[in-house]
Amino acid sequence: MTLQAIFTLVLKDLRLYFKNRFFAFVTLLALVFYILIYLVLPQEVDETLELAIYAAEMPQAFVDELVVDGLDLHEFDSPEALQDGIRDGDFNVGIVLPDDYAANLATGRDVEVEVYFASDFPEEFREFYVLFVREVSYNLAGKPLNVDAKEEILGPDLVGAQIATRDRMLPLLAVFILMVEMMGLASLITAEVEGRTIKALLVTPLTVPGFFISKGIMGTGLAFVQVAILMLFTGGFSHQPLLIVVALLLGSLLATGLGFMIASVARDMMSVMAWAVLGILLLAIPTLNILLPGTVSDWIRAIPSYYLADTVHRVINFGSTWADVQANMAALLGFALAFFAVGVVALRRKFR
Amino acid sequence: MTQNAIIAEDLTYRYGDLTAVDRISFTVGEGRIFGFLGPNGAGKSTTVNMLTGQLKPHGGKATVLGVDIAESAKQVQAQIGVGFEVSNHYEQLSAADNLNLFARLFGVRDFDAEALLRRVGLGERGSDAVEKYSKGMKQRLMVARALVNRPSILFLDEPTEGLDPSSSQTIQNIIREESDRGATVFLTTHDMHEADVLSDQVAFINNGRIVALDTPHNLKQKYGRRALKAQVSGPDGALTEREIVLDEADTAEVMQRLFSQENVVTLHSEEATLEDIFIQITGRGLT
Repeated sequence: MTLQAIFTLVLKDLRLYFKNRFFAFVTLLALVFYILIYLVLPQEVDETLELAIYAAEMPQAFVDELVVDGLDLHEFDSPEALQDGIRDGDFNVGIVLPDDYAANLATGRDVEVEVYFASDFPEEFREFYVLFVREVSYNLAGKPLNVDAKEEILGPDLVGAQIATRDRMLPLLAVFILMVEMMGLASLITAEVEGRTIKALLVTPLTVPGFFISKGIMGTGLAFVQVAILMLFTGGFSHQPLLIVVALLLGSLLATGLGFMIASVARDMMSVMAWAVLGILLLAIPTLNILLPGTVSDWIRAIPSYYLADTVHRVINFGSTWADVQANMAALLGFALAFFAVGVVALRRKFR
Repeated sequence: MTQNAIIAEDLTYRYGDLTAVDRISFTVGEGRIFGFLGPNGAGKSTTVNMLTGQLKPHGGKATVLGVDIAESAKQVQAQIGVGFEVSNHYEQLSAADNLNLFARLFGVRDFDAEALLRRVGLGERGSDAVEKYSKGMKQRLMVARALVNRPSILFLDEPTEGLDPSSSQTIQNIIREESDRGATVFLTTHDMHEADVLSDQVAFINNGRIVALDTPHNLKQKYGRRALKAQVSGPDGALTEREIVLDEADTAEVMQRLFSQENVVTLHSEEATLEDIFIQITGRGLT
């Protein structure tokens, strides 16, 4: 085969590819999508240390000491609010200064400072913050002081029980299984439409709602069973099994809704694949934050899979309870129901 | 007195500005075979889709088995069987599994898939995946699927199109058997011969309107030429044709002369075919 023949075939295939408007559209869409993801991700490595702090009356001298490059102070109105901020994962470290901090520094009396750490904050860094508090106090007093830094871990202390990479990956694997099932469901529905078997089904006593219910049960059930098997073999049910089951069921319902949406826009198996890959990529992003904390920003909370991945992560790796993840579960329930409803409406239009 | 299984009254359907079916009216008696004939795009499939509850009419009314199909499609669909023009089976499943699936959807108890498959000539291949079937076998399976619920009305869309004579014969026999059982058969076809030999009544549809509706016999009487065509052999063995027009005053005399004076080789009636009549009425063929 000559080079000219090869070139001719390549040109022919390119023409055929772009004659298909769908593939042309998805090609462009994917390009835009990937660029957007790149732009949204942090541009630079963030080396800023965020420090939560509370003092009844914040000593200005203390603040001045902390105004240094790379240290970002966030003042709280109460010690409780500061503790909540750490528990919620907004901060890793918080310092509560006693009411008599300034007076004790001035008079050279002992100072007791409370330092709070997030449970997954590395142990080796904790000592650094304690030393840091002592250093600042020393600078303010102008002489060595007996500063008692009282450490407290908020949430389960992970000393000696750091989260293994594979455990951090578990939410990612769970989300991936659900998303693959989403693709499988969309493929099945598309095959029904493509093969016109849907027409044969709908001239029987089977109703359209019945069709959706059957597909919903099949999609949700199959997704749940698969992800449950994953959890079973990876110890995912060892903490709060009921909570994990409910979270996975809601995640499966979410995947089913997405499967319906993809089936409503896909024309054939290839287009199912194309749309599903876009979906999988988007929905996997929140799991990156678990694998590599700090790599993505708070916007990931807009992605529905965040609430599933975060819940699974917190329950499995931190032993969180219903009370700890109730906001996540409420959001997951809302997203699952909304996506299922939108998926049904979108797919219903295709059957008219 | 025979009741009407299907009553269409001013049935109308539009696709945007195009009126696909334009105020058509007809009735089909219980147990009758109704041939619905017309070229592509004439409105046949749209009519069938309305009668089977797949489309809601934009005008008029269709009463099927005494029920307004637009109001209670599912009630009607439980009692009808539909065979589609294009094969739409679950190809990865076996024929028996396909039939069992639909039997379950219809709620048929003690369904015997093997017996039905034997009836359509697929008894030996019932456990094979449908994807291995030929077109004729898939079409026979389509008819079998339409029969799983022993329907009161059988809608068949081009059931023998592109099939070998053996498969066509099998399907035509089943259509007759179903009619004998008391089922009404609504047969959509291009095949004028098939419609002629099977149908008790035929309707021609063209551009969304019914242009003729009667029994095949009456249509031929009305539109056909009453004549005989004879082929005679001359002294040198050459064949020539003679036409004898019936209903003329001297027809008997002409016939007597023909047989007494000429060597008649063949004699055929000049009966018009349904296709001739369709062309005569619409000025176009069926394709």
